[in-house]
Amino acid sequence: MKFISELVAKGFSDVGVMSAVKTTLIMAISSTIISAVFGIIIGLLLERFNFKGKKIVVRINRTLMGVPPVVIGLVVYMLLMRRGPLGSLHILFTVKGMIFAQVLIITPIVSGMIYSSALKSAMPIRFFAKTMGANSRQTSFLIIKEMRSEIYFALVAGFGRAISEVGAVMLVGGNIKGSTRTMTTAISLLKSQGIFSEGIALGVMLLLIAFILQWITDFLRKEEIVDENY
Amino acid sequence: MKIINLQKQLGNLSIKINDWKIQDGKVHGIIGANGCGKTSISKLILGLLEPENIIIDFETIDSSQITMTSQRPYLMHTSVYENIIYPLKIRRITPNQEEIDFYLTKFNLFHKKNEYAPRLSSGERQKLSLIRSLIFHPQLIIIDESLSNLDMESVRLFENTINDIQKNSPVTWIIISHQLAQIQRMCDRVHFVDNGSILESGTVEDMLFKCDNERLKKYIDANILSFKEK
Repeated sequence: MKFISELVAKGFSDVGVMSAVKTTLIMAISSTIISAVFGIIIGLLLERFNFKGKKIVVRINRTLMGVPPVVIGLVVYMLLMRRGPLGSLHILFTVKGMIFAQVLIITPIVSGMIYSSALKSAMPIRFFAKTMGANSRQTSFLIIKEMRSEIYFALVAGFGRAISEVGAVMLVGGNIKGSTRTMTTAISLLKSQGIFSEGIALGVMLLLIAFILQWITDFLRKEEIVDENY
Repeated sequence: MKIINLQKQLGNLSIKINDWKIQDGKVHGIIGANGCGKTSISKLILGLLEPENIIIDFETIDSSQITMTSQRPYLMHTSVYENIIYPLKIRRITPNQEEIDFYLTKFNLFHKKNEYAPRLSSGERQKLSLIRSLIFHPQLIIIDESLSNLDMESVRLFENTINDIQKNSPVTWIIISHQLAQIQRMCDRVHFVDNGSILESGTVEDMLFKCDNERLKKYIDANILSFKEK
């Protein structure tokens, strides 16, 4: 605890902590929201429709769920670099570029988790909706509404990945102070400078932010107590 | 309602119905051994299963006004009341509070109106499912062994409800049940399903007491025997 009291007394060294916190939150929240849209749609469509090559698509999705982020970071770097196919966007070493990389990392996690949950839950909901005379739009809406717990957990997992990621954001963002430096890349920098106490303090802050956000979403969700009585 | 040339292969079971007439406004009982295709035929009528071949002439019945309750009904993750009004909500019909309270009181669920529906006991779930099916006044109601979890008092209550509806504004009912006494009390016509086909159809008297069909006789004898053993 000594390092925390020292830190409080002295303050953080000049690594741009406040800016890193802000960048981390913007990046993690934005990428989770974008991935939620893509992930939910992909996960539910995969469950709903059978098509040639579906098994391969599912396998690719599952593989991407565990792909090392640094590999995605490298691919995104190559896409976004000046001579790359998306070089004209000029988003390399920007927060937008980092969000792009994060979306590629998180979307398969969200879609994979939603697909697995939908395999169990969607069919009885669809069956029920049909017996009630719901049309396809009403059925889709009901599936999303009834699967809100599963969707919530998929998004929590995605957000967890986004906030803790370091490899891809380092490559794509470049760890630029006051601009693309995140809390994780700041920790990495502090470690290389041998300033362990500040690194640990930032880690604790990271955990605290994750905890507070979880607590807020839990509160908004009004935790359901399910007793299915089967 | 007429069903012509229905065909569906479900694993080893081949469902085949050439010409089946279901008289509107009557209570029809479907009997048959487990796995003979009773539920599958109902699902095909409702459009929950896709047939290889089917021609349904709904005649006076609107296909969106067909509903079905099953042994394990799906309850939405919300209150009892919200579950009941769901079919009204999707039809943009303002709920008739008096009617809802009438059914809730009749089925002894009024005190649970605002409770979380998935917490209900299995008998209460059946009752809720039945109320939810009745509340939007469908033209065809399929009851798939839904009365099996109800106590005798509730079964009688439900039978009386059907009688009342049939007296005032008759709808078409298809009741799948192994309880021959119940079929005798409630139904106008009985259909015997065997190995995916409608083997015999007729009045309750003809089917349960004067039948010549060996397979039907065997099924009835087995059911009466098990009833006596109980």
